[in-house]
Amino acid sequence: MSTAATPAAPERPLPTPTRESQPHWDGMREGRFLLQYCSGCGKVRHYPRPVCPHCFSMESEFKEAPTGGAIHAWTVCHHPFNFFFKAAAPYIVALVDMDAGVRVNAPLRGVAEADIKIGQRVKLGFEPVNKEVTLPFFVAG
Amino acid sequence: MVHPLREKAAVSGIGETAYTRGTHKSALALQLEASLAAIADAGLSPRDIDGVVPYFPGGGIAEDFIANLGLPDLKLSLFVPMGGATCVAAIQSAAMAVASGVCNHVLIAVGRTGYSGARVSTRLQQFPQFALAAEFEAPIGIFAPAQLYAPGARRHMELYGTTERHFAEVAVVTRQHAILNGNVVMNKPLTVEEHHASRMISDPFRLFDCSLESDGGAAIVVSRSDRARDLKKPLVTIMGVAEGHPESPASIAQRPDLLEFGLAKSAPRAYEMAGVGPKDIDVAEIYDCFTFTVINQLELLGFCKKGEGGPFVMGGRIALGGELPINTHGGLLSQGHVVGLNHVIELTRQLRREAGKAQVKDAEVGLVTGYGDMGDGSIAILRRAA
Repeated sequence: MSTAATPAAPERPLPTPTRESQPHWDGMREGRFLLQYCSGCGKVRHYPRPVCPHCFSMESEFKEAPTGGAIHAWTVCHHPFNFFFKAAAPYIVALVDMDAGVRVNAPLRGVAEADIKIGQRVKLGFEPVNKEVTLPFFVAG
Repeated sequence: MVHPLREKAAVSGIGETAYTRGTHKSALALQLEASLAAIADAGLSPRDIDGVVPYFPGGGIAEDFIANLGLPDLKLSLFVPMGGATCVAAIQSAAMAVASGVCNHVLIAVGRTGYSGARVSTRLQQFPQFALAAEFEAPIGIFAPAQLYAPGARRHMELYGTTERHFAEVAVVTRQHAILNGNVVMNKPLTVEEHHASRMISDPFRLFDCSLESDGGAAIVVSRSDRARDLKKPLVTIMGVAEGHPESPASIAQRPDLLEFGLAKSAPRAYEMAGVGPKDIDVAEIYDCFTFTVINQLELLGFCKKGEGGPFVMGGRIALGGELPINTHGGLLSQGHVVGLNHVIELTRQLRREAGKAQVKDAEVGLVTGYGDMGDGSIAILRRAA
């Protein structure tokens, strides 16, 4: 055993799906944007949770939703706060009003910081990071 | 009808440790050191404490207070899990406890090793309130409050024309106030240019827009007003107090309006309980995790209209001698980060007329806010009743 330890490569933080959110992450892995819709009143909700806050139904189904949206706000992360993201910084994270009626927070790629505007159209993409997990990102669209 | 809780409780004791970056003490030791100081300030013995609200997580729990302070009969132990809104929200719980007769003297205490212990980016992931952020936002590179709150600040800038200059004004004035206080982490003057030149953390937040990671402890005692009247210090009563929880409380991302949070609900309730309005406030200690957060809260508190918080802070208005002096101790931005209990302590000092060089002349009524988790908002309005 070597005494000069090589620092381990930083690991990407990964989601730990819950019983509520598992279908969403399963969909992401298959390249499908699945959102939770109430079986009682039909309203969409995100992030996944057990009860519909509109009609209190506990029945829901995950359905494929449109991947387009418009930028609501954004930040540019300069200080990474986590070693894994050090190499990527500065990186833009956009908060997007999805056409489906929920928001998604994800990295924005291929758009210069100076060109970002509220209301700008973007499209969600799928980036597999390992066999189990696929994460969202946005490109102009 | 006068609210049944109005002025039934008082802040009877205040205590704090040195605010530092670096300590060998544990968070629990800092919390207990501040607690002993607050109890002594009230003219009480630790044996008189019969309710305790420790800030959690971090520092001790009720069992630690019983064991260390030899509390003979603790009648109430609470956690108020609202992040930075905890301390001021805990005043509501403490006021209810003493007004109802359950307790006589409730201790609210914070101990924090925010510099020498776990730092902000790892600490938050342990909060149950941050579980959704950990699942959906940490994997895409969002970990810290600076990153979570930055999009709201950006949106305010885009919609209302708020600028970095407005942010800088909050940082610079807060630093001016800190320099007047002997117990602060940041004791050198700060200029607007230095603010603008400081490194970007999460756009639009620069280093000097962000609160400190520091070590320290703070504590207060809340007592029934008729009991506090007989204690050592001038009586400072709790006129109004409230907590508020925003829509989508565990995810800022899903909140319909990023600029409306818990304080939008709690501020009107606290004013109504107190029977006063924004115009009656002589001094305000506003939770300043970020410069922009102060600007946003000034709007929700009704000091100006939505979107006008940027221009409002300019021209000396928020400095000592101005129309609404804020954060007269240096706040979380320059004094130290003890989750805003230092703001409650400073307001109490102001109303006791113990604020030294930072004293607001003839301060009679003041308010203090807490802001935390993903936008919980708490407020207390205090009055000099001595």
